[in-house]
Amino acid sequence: MFDFDATLPLMAVQFLLLTALLNAVFYKPLMKVLDEREDFLRSGDTGSKDKLAKAESIVQEYERQIAEARRESQSLVQKAQAEAKEITATKVAAAQQEVQSQREAATQEIEQQKASAFATLEQQVDSLSRQILEKILDPELIK
Amino acid sequence: MEILGDLTFLNIYTLAELEVGEHFLWKIGNFTIHGQVFLNSWIVIGLLVIASLAATRNIQKVPRGIQNFMEFVLEFIRDLVRNQIGEKEYRDWVPFIGTLFLFIFVSNWSGALVPWKLIELPAGELAAPTNDINTTVALALLTSLAYFYAGLKKKGLGYFKHYIEPTPVLLPIAILEDFTKPLSLSFRLFGNILADELVVAVLVLLVPLLIPLPVMALGLFTSAIQALVFATLAGAYIHEALEDHHD
Amino acid sequence: MDIQAASVIAAALAIGLAAIGPGIGQGNASGQAVAGIARQPEAEGKIRGTLLLTLAFMESLTIYGLVVALVLLFANPFV
Repeated sequence: MFDFDATLPLMAVQFLLLTALLNAVFYKPLMKVLDEREDFLRSGDTGSKDKLAKAESIVQEYERQIAEARRESQSLVQKAQAEAKEITATKVAAAQQEVQSQREAATQEIEQQKASAFATLEQQVDSLSRQILEKILDPELIK
Repeated sequence: MEILGDLTFLNIYTLAELEVGEHFLWKIGNFTIHGQVFLNSWIVIGLLVIASLAATRNIQKVPRGIQNFMEFVLEFIRDLVRNQIGEKEYRDWVPFIGTLFLFIFVSNWSGALVPWKLIELPAGELAAPTNDINTTVALALLTSLAYFYAGLKKKGLGYFKHYIEPTPVLLPIAILEDFTKPLSLSFRLFGNILADELVVAVLVLLVPLLIPLPVMALGLFTSAIQALVFATLAGAYIHEALEDHHD
Repeated sequence: MDIQAASVIAAALAIGLAAIGPGIGQGNASGQAVAGIARQPEAEGKIRGTLLLTLAFMESLTIYGLVVALVLLFANPFV
């Protein structure tokens, strides 16, 4: 069982030859292929990175546009609101003025009518008091 | 006592017949070599080379079929070597450690999966090449040479400083380690494969049907693990030799 | 006791005694691994791989005993 003979060195030589042979037909070509594939994947990696950066820049651009549009719409809304406020304010003011003028006119009329009423009343008072005096006193006296 | 002696002899004989057997000896000049080991190792080598050629004959960017499989194997080996030796220097050692792994793995499985008994040899029988102590010792010695080579190439003669590095008191142990490393490597592999085949052979002798199947599956599993262990340890030893002690 | 009988007993002892230590060690390692998996189930793959490797290392100690036993049985230098 433990009989060493020329098998040992011959096997060693044979193994070294096998190593050299496999190195030529197996390890070298396939290692090259594996390395190439890794390189390819890495370069594909950088390509995809570029694309990712581009996509991100595009997204940023769109976001910027969206923000701008939002700002614009906000300003539009504000302007419209301001306009609407102004319009309502002027209308309210006009209405108030009208109300005021109408009220003033009404009070004036009332005053006028009051005054005319007072005047007629005073005339009547005068004539009545004269009549009363005439009735009570002698008309000759008055003259 | 005589009966017992006879029994022992008989047991040894049948087990030997089952397992260890004589070798199919070839003579080259004054040297004898174990023919069945070489025959089977040639089959293993042929299998590996054919698979490699088929995988690399028509290399495509998107792998298919055998190329895909061999790339998976190569990536497995590469990760194994990289884990042991480290990112910086692992590339030089992928062929050596990878071939160790592939050769041992295919040898072990060829011994366990192929019914070699069907092929009649004049003497001995075909089995896994790693079943023979010569093969495992050859591989272990090559591993030793590899880590010496790695250390000497990287650090020159300064490599030998690591023998006395923390303290010279450990010098004998450090030297002893250089002998125990190949010893344990070779005996671990040899013992495991031999034990697997022996256990299967004994079970087949006792119950020829179905019962040995789980043990065979376990044998396949341990064979794979042993190939992994051998390659991992070779990587660890080489890494140890490459490692800088100064920083 | 002749040398053959001694060899057989020695072979039995070699494998039997060599199985004790690794048995305890493997049980210990497996228990710790199970505890580790229970505590951290997501690390199961890594733990299992390391466990199998360490088990193979411990197993090889018994295998050394087996090799010695085989030497005593089949390639005994003293018979």
